[in-house]
Amino acid sequence: MRIEDVVCPFCGCLCDDLVVSVEGTKVLSVENGCTLATEKFTGDHRLAHPIRRTGGAWEKTTYDDAIRETAEILLDAERPLLYGWSGTFVEAQTLGVHMAELLGAVIDNTSTVCHGPSILAIQEVGHPGCTLGQVKNRADVIVYWGANPIEAHPRHMSRYTTFTDGFFVKSAFRDRKVIVVDIRETDSSEIADEFVKVTPGGDYAVLTALRMIVRGKGDLVPATVSGVTREQLFRVAEICLSARFGAIFFGLGLTMSRGKSKNIRNAIELTEELNRHTKFTISPMRGHWNVYGSNEVFTWITGYPYAVDFSRGIAFYNPGETTSVDLLRRKECDACLVVASDPGAHFPRACAEHLASIPTVQIDPHMNATTHLSRIQIPVAVTGIDAEGTAYRMDGVPIRTRKLFSTGYPDDVSVLGRIYSLVKEAKG
Amino acid sequence: MNFLMTTGRTVRQGSYVERKNTAPYRDEASCIRMNPVDMFDLLVEEGDAVRVTGAGGSVVMRVRQDPMLPRGLVFVCLGPYANALASPWTHGTGMPDFKTVPVSIEPTTEQPLPVSALMRECGGMPYED
Amino acid sequence: MTQGILIKNAYVIDPLSGIRGEIMDIAIRDGRIVEDALPGSEVIDAGGCLTLPGGIDSHSHVCGTKVNFGRYMSPEDMRAGRTSRKGVMHVTSGYSVPTTFGNSYRYSTMGYTTVLEGAMAPLEARHTHEEFTATPHQDMLANTLFDGNWSVMEAVREKDVKRAAAIVAWTLAAVKGFAIKLTNPGGTEAWGWGKDVSHIHDPVPYFEVTPAEIISTMIQANEILRLPHSVHLHCNNLGVPGNFRTTLETMDLAPPAGDDRQTLYLTHVQFHSYGGTTWRDISSKSEEIARSLNSKPQVVIDMGQIMFGRTTTMTADGPMEFKLYMLHHNKWSNHDVELETGSGIIPVYYSRKSLVNCVMWAIGLELALLAKNPWQCLLSTDNPNGAPFVKYPEIIALLMSRRMRENERKEIDPRTEHYVPLFALDRELDWYDIAVMTRAGQAKAMGITRIGKGHLSPGAQADVAIYPLKPDNLDPSVDYQQVMAGFSRTLYTIKRGRVVARDGDVVVEGANSTIWTRSRVPPEYDMGSDPEFTRKFDQYYTVRLRNYPVQDVYLPRGICIETEAAL
Repeated sequence: MRIEDVVCPFCGCLCDDLVVSVEGTKVLSVENGCTLATEKFTGDHRLAHPIRRTGGAWEKTTYDDAIRETAEILLDAERPLLYGWSGTFVEAQTLGVHMAELLGAVIDNTSTVCHGPSILAIQEVGHPGCTLGQVKNRADVIVYWGANPIEAHPRHMSRYTTFTDGFFVKSAFRDRKVIVVDIRETDSSEIADEFVKVTPGGDYAVLTALRMIVRGKGDLVPATVSGVTREQLFRVAEICLSARFGAIFFGLGLTMSRGKSKNIRNAIELTEELNRHTKFTISPMRGHWNVYGSNEVFTWITGYPYAVDFSRGIAFYNPGETTSVDLLRRKECDACLVVASDPGAHFPRACAEHLASIPTVQIDPHMNATTHLSRIQIPVAVTGIDAEGTAYRMDGVPIRTRKLFSTGYPDDVSVLGRIYSLVKEAKG
Repeated sequence: MNFLMTTGRTVRQGSYVERKNTAPYRDEASCIRMNPVDMFDLLVEEGDAVRVTGAGGSVVMRVRQDPMLPRGLVFVCLGPYANALASPWTHGTGMPDFKTVPVSIEPTTEQPLPVSALMRECGGMPYED
Repeated sequence: MTQGILIKNAYVIDPLSGIRGEIMDIAIRDGRIVEDALPGSEVIDAGGCLTLPGGIDSHSHVCGTKVNFGRYMSPEDMRAGRTSRKGVMHVTSGYSVPTTFGNSYRYSTMGYTTVLEGAMAPLEARHTHEEFTATPHQDMLANTLFDGNWSVMEAVREKDVKRAAAIVAWTLAAVKGFAIKLTNPGGTEAWGWGKDVSHIHDPVPYFEVTPAEIISTMIQANEILRLPHSVHLHCNNLGVPGNFRTTLETMDLAPPAGDDRQTLYLTHVQFHSYGGTTWRDISSKSEEIARSLNSKPQVVIDMGQIMFGRTTTMTADGPMEFKLYMLHHNKWSNHDVELETGSGIIPVYYSRKSLVNCVMWAIGLELALLAKNPWQCLLSTDNPNGAPFVKYPEIIALLMSRRMRENERKEIDPRTEHYVPLFALDRELDWYDIAVMTRAGQAKAMGITRIGKGHLSPGAQADVAIYPLKPDNLDPSVDYQQVMAGFSRTLYTIKRGRVVARDGDVVVEGANSTIWTRSRVPPEYDMGSDPEFTRKFDQYYTVRLRNYPVQDVYLPRGICIETEAAL
């Protein structure tokens, strides 16, 4: 059976034009998707059943037992952490937040090690952005700063920017200019019209220099800034100022390097200043297909997009204190529920060590690094394949993922729902 | 010898996110890309093992050459091997220094560990399917 | 079968039923007002207290993409209004942009049971609906944005009103919207290039249609579709000194009134009533606006009152928000929506020391005092743009008490009285006027009396608010503090026949409905099969046609108002 307009649950592009060929409960092939999509849909490496660890051995367990034991772990804990959420759908994220409130837990999502700094910057200076279709239809200048879309968001350029035509951009090839800013050459910089190579940690200074030029103070810019020549800086500024519509996309190159949120703040302020001359937007390249969904849900329920601590009885937000890496580093949490993410692989080792030392439960369809650190893992259906629910694309557009077929796996809502009921009952 | 390590996504790493306990994922995630001249200085060749040490710890990786890297900069895709080196200190931002990790690299005769063994080193217990 | 409720000794004002202050009993059964009480009904003794139909807000920004933007970019606002778990109530945060539960509980405490969300971009409707479900104590409706809609502008350019109507019908049904909203029509598309339109005959770049043409076509389309509400319009040039002329010209576009309601609803008109040419000589033109309004029964407005203090501005009017950013140099967010509309968000502070802000404050009140017919000037703050909705009781008190306004005069910039007529106005609104301006008028203007909203006659939805105010024992012109306190917190808020709030606490889990509109069109007008229309999804939108509509699952208890299009 051929199913069209399928939504891909991998990266923040949230492409919804995939065509998959399905037989029974297997996806045979994927058209229009990138490699990541093909692997995601055709892959068949799921954990077959819930597992738990006792003493020195792993054993099979039942959903009922695993769910009950998870509820007990959470109820016993004084400072539980509910982490992850980016790889599941909104209805499940909602349950997570309500459960965290009831437990007085901390709930955090993968923004904490991804675009958290972007959020901090937005909270200082705002976010002048747009939906991806605005870029596709209008942008004649595209800037990728600290991002390598060809590796991380493979279809970004062909769906939204460089390689696609738009209503006002009849020939992308002729009418769009691409600037890539990075500390190293990448496949993305290879196709750029202008590649700006910055020394590591030097983005902040380069952004400042560009702002100076845009504000008419270019004569104060020195001969080189972080390895970038004055000539190139002026050239880039000129390209931006003469754009009809410029779109900046930035990635972890800015959030993870020295300066963190201040880098992004500077980039946003550059965008705001460019808006006094022409139209410019800036957008973060969100990594996961529904990390923005977790930000949205956390925000409309608690007021804050990540790192929310309910232990005081109110919603409390203080990145650096209530963020997962810091909580784990300080060995402050005594239980952890990981949903739809892999902190074992993506947190610094010291955090993985703490996760191993406390009761950690993972709800995830696949074995991963966190599996080895957990006491229990409960496999669930894969959203977008055998479960459906809302996802928020990197630009905030909400799309409902499809359920292609049913398998025996429960979805995240049914597992979390049962844990939540047990917790509610115990709390009275 | 000292270098600056940066991390990032690769398509290959992304293709294996659901198979992190396999050999291909181990190979990709424990691969350290270096500028060929740096490799020459370090006296290593393509495929050789090196021990990499950073603020967060030490881990064995295999070298691959990448002429697009500037000298002094090395690249590891995001994953447990890169994270074995990263410090958990976030400077109050919640975000560790994932992209500017000073590391020292020496040739070694050891092998990169599988992911499960890395996790065992953290105190976990490997699950074999 | 739900248990019945019998409210005894209620001082009822029910304008739509012609009741202007009578002590009576109200019987409720199965979520509706009935003639006679069921034996064994729960008895609530209202003790002579003011009892009104549940409050209806006809323009409030509480749910959706830009509202949530406003929340997460403002943790300082979140911290300024936080509450703990209490009984069934979740933790809430937020002062001017509360979280969804925060909004719901605070509205419920004030007796509000129905809210029309000010702006929903069709592409992002799913987000609005998800937040509607998380605002569980009010029935929700969505004003659906069409101001920068490419398909609509093309139909306007072709002078094809029927096509425009068909596009609206398809879109409203697809995204489960309620009404046509136009925000700075034409301007939001111009803002896609960083531009704006400067008057209603200023053509939109590329599309070459004018705001006046968009407005007129959409008014006609609205009537062809027989939609319950009229076109709901945020005029061009919001906030610009001298913009009163744009507003007057726009009001002139409204065709004569229909049988049951206005043909044009202008929102937050305070922001559109400025004289002068710059901020230095800005003045109040409320008298001119009111004069036009008083001669045009086909127009209904809401005030858009500002109140002093901090708040957050958020509208689909992207270019206006950018101008505000340039004025305030504070943080600024922007979000343009492809093929459809835009938005912007800026936190602001309205200060008593700012002459401009004082003039703005006066204008809102003047509009309400100068409008002869309370059905034509409804209470609003364009929440949160003018002020958070929790300030409505204070506005009510100001409208009912000249003395309170006089006291305010002493606190504000002393030059204000030379720029505004407010302090020469003696009029004090009465309880009936307030009942009209906070519920009956909204129900009529929105066309939702047909589903039992806004009144308390048998058959109506049992949405009732009992306020701790005894009109017989209270002189609002003197006891304005009591008026303010009384409207801030009901003794009882009843929704769909269940007591949902008591004395400031919400006491049950909510189960609200989303009310939306489907206008049935003949098959040849179904845009879903129109190649020109569907081509936009293949080529220009970044979401496929199949994935665009809002699935039924997002409206667990949806109420669809069906109409028959005259096509």
